[in-house]
Amino acid sequence: MLEQLSYKSKGTFLQNVHTIASLTYFAALLLLPLIFTHPFYLLGVFLVGIMAVVVSDSAAECMPFLVMGIWVAVFVMLLNPLIVQHGNTVLIYGPELPVIGRFRISLEAICYGAAMGVRLMTIIIAFALYNAVVHPDKVTAFVSRFAWKSSLVVSLVTRMIPTIARDLCSAREVMQLRGVDFSTGTFRERLKKYSWLMEVLLLSSLEGSLATAEAMQARGFGSGRRSSYHRELVRPRDYFFFLSGITALIIGICAWLKGYAVFAFYPKLDSFAGGSELIWLVVIIFCLIIPLILSWGWKHWPYLRTRI
Amino acid sequence: MSARAGKKVLLVSVILSAAAVIMGLAAWKLQFIHQNWEFFAAFLLLTSLVVFFASFEGSRISSREVGVIAVLAALAAVSRVPFAVLPGVQPTTFLVMVSGYVFGARSGFMVGAVAALVSNFFMGQGPWTPFQMLFWGLIGASAGLLGVVRPGAGRTVMISFSIVWGYLFGWLMNLFFVVFFIKPLTWRAVFLAYAASFPMDTFHALGNVCFYLLLGPQVIKVLKRFQKKMTYAEI
Repeated sequence: MLEQLSYKSKGTFLQNVHTIASLTYFAALLLLPLIFTHPFYLLGVFLVGIMAVVVSDSAAECMPFLVMGIWVAVFVMLLNPLIVQHGNTVLIYGPELPVIGRFRISLEAICYGAAMGVRLMTIIIAFALYNAVVHPDKVTAFVSRFAWKSSLVVSLVTRMIPTIARDLCSAREVMQLRGVDFSTGTFRERLKKYSWLMEVLLLSSLEGSLATAEAMQARGFGSGRRSSYHRELVRPRDYFFFLSGITALIIGICAWLKGYAVFAFYPKLDSFAGGSELIWLVVIIFCLIIPLILSWGWKHWPYLRTRI
Repeated sequence: MSARAGKKVLLVSVILSAAAVIMGLAAWKLQFIHQNWEFFAAFLLLTSLVVFFASFEGSRISSREVGVIAVLAALAAVSRVPFAVLPGVQPTTFLVMVSGYVFGARSGFMVGAVAALVSNFFMGQGPWTPFQMLFWGLIGASAGLLGVVRPGAGRTVMISFSIVWGYLFGWLMNLFFVVFFIKPLTWRAVFLAYAASFPMDTFHALGNVCFYLLLGPQVIKVLKRFQKKMTYAEI
């Protein structure tokens, strides 16, 4: 598990976008479901997320996330009506229970739970896509412009984790050769065996850290202004991505402030005002979908591929 | 290095908690805020992370300290994996705590936060990442404070500290879960969420105590010796 990053480079269109552009797009995918409460708006962003998973060829990577997300969403959907006792339209009165009191399951609480389930799924899809599409090194390199000490620590740790995981395996083998059997013994004994491993690992890797520090110093690290030789390309596609993300965000916030994307669940469900309140949603979906159309075109239309 | 950083973190946490109290009071007054707790929760979470990282950026730090922080964070991250089968039990909390205790609040925060962030590069980022970063970071920072207040803390202090954080970690997580996903907020909802996570938190606390009893004194000794080794004396 610790041998390689969860990001796999596949050379797809979405993986080859400027960091700022893709971060803006993902910020929109993540923040919009957080501010919306209207069920249609939530469903709209959810569908865009699903489409993005399909278009970016990352269904296999996203699957474990989706499965886990469904479980949590179902949990939230069930939990909300059980513990929230508000809402006018009561469907079922439960029995009197000690401590907690009497259950009443209302239509409003069920609907709110369902909307929250969709919100949760959308957020999880946004993260799953982010994992599959954005290389952590690109983000670290981007952050290093304004927080270089923290990003230095982050990149050092990223480099050390696979090494330490390998060291752990070899230390384990050495101990097994000396007659320590990790698969037998009571829980306490096994914990003790693993704690020996931890100690060995701690000592050897601390020594390693001194070597790293000295290597850094020997190369003059921190002796002057930092130089940088890496520059990311900005291509037309990056403008599309950036603009679509930022426009969707701004329009979403406007819709939210004007009360279009807001839906009151308690004490009684709002009624749907009809088509007019969904115009904003159509615009938002249109914005968010442009990069996905480009991605499809990049794959199937050589001319477009040469232009973006 | 640890005493000054400890004071700084103390100051930061006092400011943050004051901000939380003020926002709580404001929320009590304003209908808008009363209906939008989640924004304030998210705001508080992000500002605390930014404040802690900014304090690290602003500090003068040697390459040796960076190396040690990185190694401890990598160890804490790696040690999440072999114990993944046992719910709540992992040596990460223990390692973060001990490194904060020995190397001070600032380093402790970095070890906890970076371990959470980078282990998720390998295991997958999710909505949980910022929460894990902040709470593990807080474990390290508070252990740093403990190291300043009680430099020679014995077994009882450290064990109670591990138990408290075992529960507090889960409770803070619950708080955010409830604020984000349950509406309207009622005491019953809070109570049920806390009751549901109680067994998990107990495992976490017990795991912390076990790791401290098995490894604590030796690891602290190793780290303290290493701290001495890091600073070369002039002759």
